[in-house]
Amino acid sequence: MPYFGSEEMVKELKRALSNPHVQSDRLRYKNYITKVIRYMTQGLDVSSLFMDMVKASATVDIVQKKLVYLYMCTYASDKPDLALLAINTLRKDCADPNPMVRGLALRNMCNFRMPGMTEYIEQPIVAALRDKASYVRRVAVLGCAKMHSLQPNTEIDGRIVNELYALLRDPDPVVVVNCLRALEEILKDEGGVVINKPIAHHLLNRMKELDSWAQSEVLNFLLRYHPRSDDELFDILSLLDSFLQSSHAHVVVSTLRLFLHLASAHRAVQADALLRTSAPLLATCSAVSRELRFAGLCHVQQVMRSQPGLFATHYKRFFCGYSEPSYIKFRKMEILVELVNDENVSLVLEELRSYCTDVSPELAQAAIAAIGRIARTYSEKCLDILTGLLALKQDHITSAVIQTFRDLVWFCPQSTAAVCQTVEAGVDRPQDSEGKQALLWLLGAHGDQMGSAPYVMEGYIDGLKTELSSTVKMELLTATVKMFLCRPAETQDMLGRLLHYCIEEESDVCVRDRALLYYRLLQRGAEETRRVVTGPKSDPSMSVLTGRQEEPISEWASTFNTLGPLAGRDSCPQTDAISAADQPSYSAGEELLPGSEDVTLSGPGDTEEEISLSLGAPLSHESFEKMWLDLEILHRQALGVSRPRTAPDTLQASLQLEKIQTLAFTPADTVPWKAYIYTRSTGTLILAELLQGATDESLVLSVKQQPVNQHAIRRFVSVLKSVLQTLNLE
Amino acid sequence: MIGGLFIYNHKGEVLISRVYRDDIGRNAVDAFRVNVIHARQQVRSPVTNIARTSFFHVKRSNIWLAAVTKQNVNAAMVFEFLYKMCDVMAAYFGKISEENIKNNFVLIYELLDEILDFGYPQNSETGALKTFITQQGIKSQHHTKEEQSQITSQVTGQIGWRREGIKYRRNELFLDVLESVNLLMSPQGQVLSAHVSGRVVMKSYLSGMPECKFGMNDKIVIDKQGKGGTTDDSGKSGKQSIAIDDCTFHQCVRLSKFDSERSISFIPPDGEYELMRYRTTKDIILPFRVIPLVREVGRTKLEVKVVIKSNFKPSLLAQKIEVRIPTPLNTSGVQVICMKGKAKYKASENAIVWKIKRMAGMKESQISAEIELLPTNDKKKWARPPISMNFEVPFAPSGLKVRYLKVFEPKLNYSDHDVIKWVRYIGRSGIYETRC
Repeated sequence: MPYFGSEEMVKELKRALSNPHVQSDRLRYKNYITKVIRYMTQGLDVSSLFMDMVKASATVDIVQKKLVYLYMCTYASDKPDLALLAINTLRKDCADPNPMVRGLALRNMCNFRMPGMTEYIEQPIVAALRDKASYVRRVAVLGCAKMHSLQPNTEIDGRIVNELYALLRDPDPVVVVNCLRALEEILKDEGGVVINKPIAHHLLNRMKELDSWAQSEVLNFLLRYHPRSDDELFDILSLLDSFLQSSHAHVVVSTLRLFLHLASAHRAVQADALLRTSAPLLATCSAVSRELRFAGLCHVQQVMRSQPGLFATHYKRFFCGYSEPSYIKFRKMEILVELVNDENVSLVLEELRSYCTDVSPELAQAAIAAIGRIARTYSEKCLDILTGLLALKQDHITSAVIQTFRDLVWFCPQSTAAVCQTVEAGVDRPQDSEGKQALLWLLGAHGDQMGSAPYVMEGYIDGLKTELSSTVKMELLTATVKMFLCRPAETQDMLGRLLHYCIEEESDVCVRDRALLYYRLLQRGAEETRRVVTGPKSDPSMSVLTGRQEEPISEWASTFNTLGPLAGRDSCPQTDAISAADQPSYSAGEELLPGSEDVTLSGPGDTEEEISLSLGAPLSHESFEKMWLDLEILHRQALGVSRPRTAPDTLQASLQLEKIQTLAFTPADTVPWKAYIYTRSTGTLILAELLQGATDESLVLSVKQQPVNQHAIRRFVSVLKSVLQTLNLE
Repeated sequence: MIGGLFIYNHKGEVLISRVYRDDIGRNAVDAFRVNVIHARQQVRSPVTNIARTSFFHVKRSNIWLAAVTKQNVNAAMVFEFLYKMCDVMAAYFGKISEENIKNNFVLIYELLDEILDFGYPQNSETGALKTFITQQGIKSQHHTKEEQSQITSQVTGQIGWRREGIKYRRNELFLDVLESVNLLMSPQGQVLSAHVSGRVVMKSYLSGMPECKFGMNDKIVIDKQGKGGTTDDSGKSGKQSIAIDDCTFHQCVRLSKFDSERSISFIPPDGEYELMRYRTTKDIILPFRVIPLVREVGRTKLEVKVVIKSNFKPSLLAQKIEVRIPTPLNTSGVQVICMKGKAKYKASENAIVWKIKRMAGMKESQISAEIELLPTNDKKKWARPPISMNFEVPFAPSGLKVRYLKVFEPKLNYSDHDVIKWVRYIGRSGIYETRC
């Protein structure tokens, strides 16, 4: 209806509104005005009625007034000259004895979005700031902000700003908060409202009177305040203490954020605050409304980044209900994966297994991937479950299981044998392209352990003509070439056929180019090809051994209680599964270049402080060795610290935290002890050797670099030294 | 900060649209409709980002309420605000439905005008709002002096949730303990997870500014008192007290007093409001047990037998019992026999729905069904959704008991004894599922 015959409709309304009979009958008149608003809501352009609506604003009926004002606010910017006609009525209302009428008129006058409005509203606003009714003051304070947003580029009126600061002491709590809001908007360019000590303390003392929305906002404003002393800090914290248990989830979360921020130097206080908010957070996670539940879960995830153990005993609370929407289920599964420990692993796996047969294929795949994540620690149990799932012979499940296998083998090489056995024993061919890619990658990377691998692959090569996805074709090329390198006799013929087809008949340019690349590579001999094509078969960072790092709270505290945690990762938990298909691209030639995304933006003339280290793409042993032999030692220095007595895993983990990757080290009891490490920084690759002659002797560091950048070396040495010193202290 | 609020019906037609800030353009209304309401796939998240604008939505029956903002806001707050808005609307015109919204759309615009200004929440307490907006609309001429001063005192008063000078001929209060019990049980009868989330809802019609004190059988309080009393006393009360996992209160409750003495004292708002919310997970009385038995007879037949047992005092009566037994998608026919109540196969819902009007405690009832299946080539295994149950019982499954509710009003001449008090316990099923 809103779109057909709309012109007729508007004309009819216009006729009715200007009809004196209608105008004299108050009820009928109001009905027509209501109709206008209704059409406006539906998106009909009723701006041509502006004149008649302005006339209707001269009434004693407040409801009718409100409706007309709503109409005028919407269309004032289209008809500025006509809107000026209404201003007189509004200004008259601003002096009405009834505070409600005064407030209403002022609010709507400020809502008119048109240039030149300022001169009409400034005087009433300033007068209303001193009104005796708080209702009018509330409106006036926000009116200041609206006035500023009308002319954002004009100079800030110091008089109004001062008046607003003074109104922070107003007896009405909403006026106080509105002042903060208005000042924040007006002073945006200067960094927002200033929270000094008297203001901060004043706000803290008024907190209890505020409604929950205002509490939340004030807590956010208080983030800006830095207490002078520890005494003051603890006074503030004890004042805020009761808000950690507020009945409103958003107040709890805001308070927690402020706690974490203020107590950033006091680890114990932070931990205590987290512990005490765990109950309300959990309560939010089982709230009646799903949206709140979702928000709660997202925040629990954030907390778990630093304190993974906090919710471990409550893992059952994260079991999914049957009727919950999928966005909640995805989050719950992510949390469950993090909560697994020796005691609950079998129950959690049991639960996850029941999700694998869920009606929604997306959810089923996520559940399978979750089991895969747990398998990195508890391989055996999970592999049993995954193998069991293959027996269901469901396409989407099979495909997801194979993808999980691929990721598992990559992260956790010790499970390779079991996976190969399962795949060898016969799995259904996955039908979707992701599944095909995963299976092909497994066949290519570990073909030497599967007797039937070449025959499975042959099936794919024979069916190449009907294959649609070019990524599958490329994966097939890579896998076949890899297979050829380890089992040439069985593969040579089919590789020939594959290359012939891809070069001669394939229409996709990418696939053809890839085939040509391999073809030329093979012409240069098998050894050369091997050097380029075979990369590491598992994650060289050994993230499984070092476990998940507990991140410092400061990592996430700044985005806590914003939209960040909710948007964070996509609701699909598979994002960290690496695209193993692209593995061959880490070939020796490219490895010399630093990972482009890790290059921090800084020119050669930058100061030392701005240089940061980064991990970048992992180096293989061979290429490290080659480079180490090729390059000259640029820098040699005795570090003055001995080797930390900690376990080698800890050393590796703490270096990795500082973005230094460990390649290899000799066992702990050998003399001399050596370790090879590397890192990247602003476009350069730093290789280093740590050497300890005899026990308790100082470590000697030798550094090689390509290309040379002395700043980076100095930075690297200082980081390394500090890590070693900290470890020695422990 | 909220840039705009939109309300749509299930078809995506705009029922209400109110924009508070300039950064939200007129096309935002359509963006949400096209990207979320009309989107093919199911909702990915309650927060949607379209062109740097965030849309927060909640659904009530088939009405979509969406809040729009360009700022990086606090999500939990926006959601709670939307619920609050629903509560306020419900207090004015009851259920939130398309018809009600259409009929009250003038009123809604009035409300939106008062609740938010420039996108900032201003006044969201129903009690206080009712002085600004009455259903019929106030005529400014007839506004008496008295009413005006009332508004002023109300909005400047220290206590935001109660106005001065309330008078009732009969001082009455109603206390409802409303609990919803949630259960997930394995087919073997093992409790996988169970919790009760409860609310204490109070309706108070009290004169003046009364001070109230509320007491319940909270374990911590009882233990504390037990230490002072005789040993016999503490031994007895130990059984009857309950452990509350966490609880939260209406803003009127003095939290400092609760923290130090664990006593709940407050000056109540007028009319209906929620005094506290709590959650327990220990020693929950599960009002019903569901014992499922599913047998697959060949490829085209299923035999289902479900026994429900009521587990509470025989003198109490449970009501509105509904058991929902899911059936496979390829069901062709169902024969049901039940001893009590009525059971029906609802093909549209893929379930057998068994309804019993009333059932006393310590009884059991049984239903058996034969489900004929169409033979399919689909190898997909039936996922066997859990059997869910709905009911209402006249006691609190958490075991919570109200011990006292005292009213003191020193300024007016009525005492605690003159107040008529009503207490009611209602336990409802939340998500009460048994896997089969």
